Amino acid sequence: MKLSAWKYVKNNKRVTGVMVLALALAFVAMYVIFVLMQTSAESFKPVMLKMPTRVSFADLSGKAYGLKGEDYETDEEYMAAYDSKQQELMDALKQKPGIEDAFYTQILNSKYQAVMGQYTFEVPLMEPERIPSFLKHMDAELIEGRLPAGDGEMLVDATIMKNSGYELGGWFMPDWYGEVFRIVGVIRSEYLISMGTPMGYTNSGFYIVVCNDENTTDLTGMLKEQGIELTEADTIWDAASYREAYKKDVQDTIDMVITGICLVVMIFLSILVMVAYVSFMRNRVNEYNLYSSIGYGRYEIYCMILKEMLILFLIGTCTGFLLSLLSAALLNELVILPRGLVGKVFYTDQILKILSVNLFIMGILQIPTLVCLSRIKTIDNIED
Amino acid sequence: MFEMKNVSMIYDMNTDAMTYALKSVDLELPDRGLVGIIGPSGSGKSTLMYCLSTLKEPTEGSILYNGKELTHVGNREREQLRRREFGFIFQKHYLVPYMNAVDNVQVGAVDKAAAAKAPDFLRELGLSEKEFGKKPAKLSGGQCQRVAIARAMINDPKVIFADEPTASLDHENAYNVMSILKEYSDDRLVLVVTHDKSILKDAERIIEIWDGELSR
Repeated sequence: MKLSAWKYVKNNKRVTGVMVLALALAFVAMYVIFVLMQTSAESFKPVMLKMPTRVSFADLSGKAYGLKGEDYETDEEYMAAYDSKQQELMDALKQKPGIEDAFYTQILNSKYQAVMGQYTFEVPLMEPERIPSFLKHMDAELIEGRLPAGDGEMLVDATIMKNSGYELGGWFMPDWYGEVFRIVGVIRSEYLISMGTPMGYTNSGFYIVVCNDENTTDLTGMLKEQGIELTEADTIWDAASYREAYKKDVQDTIDMVITGICLVVMIFLSILVMVAYVSFMRNRVNEYNLYSSIGYGRYEIYCMILKEMLILFLIGTCTGFLLSLLSAALLNELVILPRGLVGKVFYTDQILKILSVNLFIMGILQIPTLVCLSRIKTIDNIED
Repeated sequence: MFEMKNVSMIYDMNTDAMTYALKSVDLELPDRGLVGIIGPSGSGKSTLMYCLSTLKEPTEGSILYNGKELTHVGNREREQLRRREFGFIFQKHYLVPYMNAVDNVQVGAVDKAAAAKAPDFLRELGLSEKEFGKKPAKLSGGQCQRVAIARAMINDPKVIFADEPTASLDHENAYNVMSILKEYSDDRLVLVVTHDKSILKDAERIIEIWDGELSR
């Protein structure tokens, strides 16, 4: 007969329950923190990764067009030359297959607040006549209100409305632009796009807006083809630059925070579990001594301890896994979705990370186990 | 069955306070019968029993068990001997606190067939069915000792080593335990270490030990 690992687990429900619960709660803590952090990454995807497949922005300097201030006697002459070059560029871009439109316009900035961090992105302003075609290009539909007809009227995506707490008839970004841009319609698109009509000057800048498709997302490359020499003074927001910003500002930051949190939890949990486990084993020294006295070898005793540990970790991990999914689903319904954010319930990578942490802790627990095994005596030693 | 030749057990060997627990002991033990080892506290009687049962290794001398030199066998073989051929009843019963009576007996079993006999053993030793599922904390001292005896007998060992098996029992329970051991000794060897001569009235042989030396 082998020593049974199950008997201890079955007959010591309080002790094993505490161990299982501790492991499960650590799993939940690591997973829920990740879900909250990852909400930012998921939420920013439509703006930073999807939107550039439909629209790109470029703010070019005169130098990019090969213009030099000293070649022109007055600012007006320079600006006329600049406008002419810009128009040429937009006309050339519009000739490209996949480019539906290219126009120069003022933009506003819109905020998107996630659980961790906020992202600011471009909202083009345009004349009311252009709005229906731009809406169509962005696969957006008006779900409430009306299209802008006068100056300073905005169409805002329903998710952004929810996220920023806007109301139809209310003001768009009032903390930045004051009570200037009124929301007259709510739209829905998978790109979280908003748009509107201009009203005077704002300091958010002017951009060339390029309505591209999935095959023409490389605005930088297309500009170079047109002989544009980009410098540090020029700003391009196309798929590549958004992707880079997403990786650097969102994913890498979140990864760093998650890794840090996992590391801290792992260290604290390892210490706590180790302390708990050492006391757990100390209480059983006489039991191990008895087994040794009646003929069980250290290897058999070690196998029993290892199996007990596996059972506890398995139950703890499974419980933690189920509780984590439940917590993530609740978090999604109660916190994430009502704020207009995007959340997921199941993250395979994070589950694997947590499993690795648990395996690491199990590995660490071999140290006190082996120390305890090396100290096993027979009953005669205790009775002496 | 056992033959001890010139066996000594010295504690604190490398210090000035060198103590002989056993001093040049020569002893032969038969294959069956109830043998008592008696002596005052610290006389070396438990050490003698532990050396015979492989729980302790003597400092010098030879111990033969059925012709085999026990002082030269490896750990694995010692474990197998303790597991299959020897049974132990300790002074304190050393039952596993979270296991019930049946589980505490089965933990000593070498295989499933032996484990299956646990309830019968307990029944024969006077435990009722309702006590089978009780943990040691819910059993009396006498009942615990019976469970320990059942654990020692579960593999039908050739030798039972009993160290002060009646120390924590009242007179009636002590008598019952000794009766059980006496019965078992009809065709097996039962070695009982005690300082209470009265429990050895049925013993075939009594060995007295003083300061590590056999006196008779």
